[in-house]
Amino acid sequence: MAVINVDSRGSACPGPITDLVRAYKKANNGDIIELLATDPGIKGDSKAWCERTGNELLGIEENSGEYKVKILIKSKK
Amino acid sequence: MENGGLNIIMFSGTADKLIPLGVLTQTAANMGVPVRIFITGWAMTVFKKDGPKNANRVSKEFEDMAPVLMKGLQDMKAPSWYEMIQSAKEIGDVKVYACSLMSEALKIKSKAEMDPIVDDIIGAASFMQMSAGGQVIFI
Repeated sequence: MAVINVDSRGSACPGPITDLVRAYKKANNGDIIELLATDPGIKGDSKAWCERTGNELLGIEENSGEYKVKILIKSKK
Repeated sequence: MENGGLNIIMFSGTADKLIPLGVLTQTAANMGVPVRIFITGWAMTVFKKDGPKNANRVSKEFEDMAPVLMKGLQDMKAPSWYEMIQSAKEIGDVKVYACSLMSEALKIKSKAEMDPIVDDIIGAASFMQMSAGGQVIFI
């Protein structure tokens, strides 16, 4: 049950999701990934990724052009 | 697309088509979708060993727009299309195949003469068989 911080600020689509997947590969079920991004596509993309992979989007905070996406990892086999 | 994945016939060899190849491949790998890329036509020379894989050459029709777009991508420090395919191969189930017909036309005898990103040289029937039921796009 760790919190994994991923900083993707400044990286454009599909960079933030690539960074998220790299973190996901090392994560365990129950971990929370906190992804920071500035690419506005991240709002829809993180939702789509969670739907596709069976992980849970806990929320997206937006603060002056910066997004903090929280994802609960639950699809690791 | 679910089982057959995303299958891309890569015919063009210019940056305006190679960049979307990189983005699509990276995105599919991120989403857990298998990707099969079939290199043929004008893309062959780009994927040859020591081929101009980071070439910024664009199609004639987009020539006037290219400098602004390329500069924009550079400013964003966006990875090259080649780096995106490399990264997609690390992350997911991504295979790159070179067309056997075009290999023969270019006197390429084995995959050792292709860029290391190429997994094998195969025929069109093999690609059609492996992409059956999946989504096939031609770029």
